Amino acid sequence: MKYMQLAQRIVQRAKKKGAKQAEAFLEVGRNSSVRVRDGQVEDLTEATSKGVGVRVIVRDRLGFAYTSDFEPASVDAIVDRALELALAAAPNKLNGLPSKAELGKPPETGPLFDPAVAALPSEWKIQAALEMERAGKAVDPRIATFESVGAGENVHEVYAASTEGLAAHAEGTYVFLYAVPVASADGQLQTAYWMDYERFLEDLDAPEEVGREAARRAVRMLGARKVKSQRVPVIFDPVMAASFVGSIAGAANGDAAFKKSTIFAPLKGKRLAPADVTIVDDGLLPRGLGTSAFDGEGVATRRTPILEKGVLKGFLYDAFTARKAKARTTGNAARGYSSLPHIGTNNLYLEAGARPPEELIREVKQGLYVTAMLGRGANTVTGDYSRGANGLWIENGELAFPVQEVTVAGNLLQMLKDIDGVGSDLQFRGSVGAPTLRFRELTVAGE
Amino acid sequence: MPLIERLLAAAMARGGEFAEVYVERSVTTAVVLDEERIKSAQMGLSQGVGVRVVSGAKVGYAYSDDLDEPALLRAAGTAALIAQAQGSERSFRVSRTPAPSYYRVPTPLADVDVARKADLVKRADATARAHDRRVRQVMASYADVTKRVAIANTDGRYSEDTQDLCRLNVTVVAEAKKERRTGTYGGGGRVPFTYFDTFTPEHVAREAARQATATLGAVEAEAGPQTVVLAPGWSGILLHEAVGHGLEADFIRKKTSLFAGKLEQKVASDLVTVIDDGSVANGRGSINVDDEGNPGERKVLIEKGVLRGYMYDSLNAKLMGQRSTGSGRRESFKHMPMPRMTNTYLAPGDDTPGDILKSVKRGLYCANFGGGQVDITNGNFVFEVSEAYQIEDGRLGRPVRGAVLIGVGPEALKNVSRVGCDPMPDPGMGTCGKDGQSVPVGVGLPTLRIDHMTVGGTHVGGAR
Repeated sequence: MKYMQLAQRIVQRAKKKGAKQAEAFLEVGRNSSVRVRDGQVEDLTEATSKGVGVRVIVRDRLGFAYTSDFEPASVDAIVDRALELALAAAPNKLNGLPSKAELGKPPETGPLFDPAVAALPSEWKIQAALEMERAGKAVDPRIATFESVGAGENVHEVYAASTEGLAAHAEGTYVFLYAVPVASADGQLQTAYWMDYERFLEDLDAPEEVGREAARRAVRMLGARKVKSQRVPVIFDPVMAASFVGSIAGAANGDAAFKKSTIFAPLKGKRLAPADVTIVDDGLLPRGLGTSAFDGEGVATRRTPILEKGVLKGFLYDAFTARKAKARTTGNAARGYSSLPHIGTNNLYLEAGARPPEELIREVKQGLYVTAMLGRGANTVTGDYSRGANGLWIENGELAFPVQEVTVAGNLLQMLKDIDGVGSDLQFRGSVGAPTLRFRELTVAGE
Repeated sequence: MPLIERLLAAAMARGGEFAEVYVERSVTTAVVLDEERIKSAQMGLSQGVGVRVVSGAKVGYAYSDDLDEPALLRAAGTAALIAQAQGSERSFRVSRTPAPSYYRVPTPLADVDVARKADLVKRADATARAHDRRVRQVMASYADVTKRVAIANTDGRYSEDTQDLCRLNVTVVAEAKKERRTGTYGGGGRVPFTYFDTFTPEHVAREAARQATATLGAVEAEAGPQTVVLAPGWSGILLHEAVGHGLEADFIRKKTSLFAGKLEQKVASDLVTVIDDGSVANGRGSINVDDEGNPGERKVLIEKGVLRGYMYDSLNAKLMGQRSTGSGRRESFKHMPMPRMTNTYLAPGDDTPGDILKSVKRGLYCANFGGGQVDITNGNFVFEVSEAYQIEDGRLGRPVRGAVLIGVGPEALKNVSRVGCDPMPDPGMGTCGKDGQSVPVGVGLPTLRIDHMTVGGTHVGGAR
């Protein structure tokens, strides 16, 4: 446990040098990845990395410094620097680290570390990537090449210590596959992205399946064209729905709510969506990519409903923002060692509904099924939502032809109200998950 | 033998063709102001070494943030494994390659007292709040980095560079009649701290506050094709996304860009000349040497509508039988270099901005952009227009909200019908992301008229 000792030594030095409170957040990890091209290895990367961030409170002022150098002199220097920097900041009575009570009791998360991932040989990743490439090309002769196709894994540990009694350690793994094929026909090129990220090797989709799905998604976009500007029902596939759910979590940011810079600010307790819409952040989801016993400042994570049966239940907080807003931290402090905590999500998802996704499509006479989007998405201050979209046009309940170069636009609040179909196909591709989602009407802008 | 040469030898021990050692030490400082006070002052140190070995088209890469010799030799040995030949005992000598100097920062930004940095954001806050009663919130930040790099490779090249970079940023939220709008402005570059004596925080704050208040009372954007006029400067982000990325050599070699195979072909209107220039004095995207040790340079990508060249890093240049254009960049020692833009701009034309505006009977004036993204394969791009106005009979009308521009790169370029004669560099705000790597870039554009641009919005057809 030499890293825990280092974290504690940093906290002690800060305290001795005059910090009222101090915290060390230390990360160590290693990662490895491989990419292939035309049946050959294209590149192989292996690395180890580490770093520690020091947060201090001196006379109600906040200072922060980090280093990737663990030499004692360098670590000491960074502690001293954090203390000096605090003096450049303004005093704020609300500054402070999470108290013992706020830290809470570490909850049970179940396993987060897979020894099989930690021991994953390069050969496995190379073979997996080659299989994705082979399976993808076999889908259709119009798969011309791959922009990139690869696999990799990450093994990481966190050590956190503070003057307030924090002494926490966690370790975890993840493994990933991704494929970005390019389909070509009649002078048009189309691409698609498909991937899987999991903590456990046995949860990972088969490489052939990832390669095939990516290829299917690219090929079906060939011949894509614009459509006329119109207001029609729009369906987001689960990956696009997940990015919409991400926008909702952004609007539920507790800091933005406190500053009234999110359209959700005055709406706590109000019905925003139909009863079959429940959006949750859950730090304890079994085997979840975003699962951990504690957040970026050591606070126990939990399950926090954002929208429950369509009603806005609350906002996401870290300890500082919660104190400011006279609320309680929800264990949503996100960070790496090189940044101060900020509000983020753990495992964020929209709960599965009852409708088979095929049915949601079949009920649409004219509409757009969105499978890829460009641009940032929602402006949570104004609620404006406008993104470039690619997908498939729906005609009489069938996916008829591919569409590109259009935008879908609406307003976040109106979009929530307009959800008229929640699919039963909840899936996670990373730490955010959603099922197929249908909106009664959005503006599609094209010709 | 110096350590860096021993690392090269270890990297080549399995018979690679080329090896490179990249050493980086970055010191970052940031000051963040929120809710009328300095929320935090912070700094960080990040250092490490990345070793790359090339064997044919295969690349091995390993990095370490442990700088002791055994750890570095381990990294070199790991990268070496990409080559599968028998052991070799070759040794390599490197010597210092002279490099140009496009940015001189006499006092490294890391050495400037943090109190002076804090003062910038405090002055910005005070100015923005005093600017207009409708200003509700001000977020201001200052960040800088002093990055020292050394790059050695088995071609015998050794380069060093010190890259200082700073940026002041102000975001303002204004409110009237329950409507909230935001405005963002900022800038900087590879400049000494004294730059902010002329590019003052007051100027930055007033512009951010102006944007936020100017767009209050905006009407919904009309969806569909329109004539658009882009304001000079930051609008260059459109060029960066719609064209620039598709001219990066990795996409060309893999034939995943729609600009592949189009050299010497007409890809844009005659009025369009596009240049990527790593040698702009003090530019945010400028580089004395790229992250492979090649000098930054000015290259004409599109000349009067004709595609003249691509941007190459050394690996893609070699595989394609070309020479590096000094475009090999990386975010840090944790990343492999790849072809990237530096400062990318569209050369000025003949029309005055006023004449361009007058030439449009009905359209959209795009004064400021939020951000954009491109799919380089099908060429689709999108941009959020954060400040836009209706154009009616050659004059600016009401502000418009929620507009997004969408198009296909080459089509948009073919529809460029007027190019302004006004100066066009942006204030130094851009950060470009590619494959998960961020690098600072400059963009630029004179006032530009583009016909038949698809505008995404919420309002469809007919009278409002």
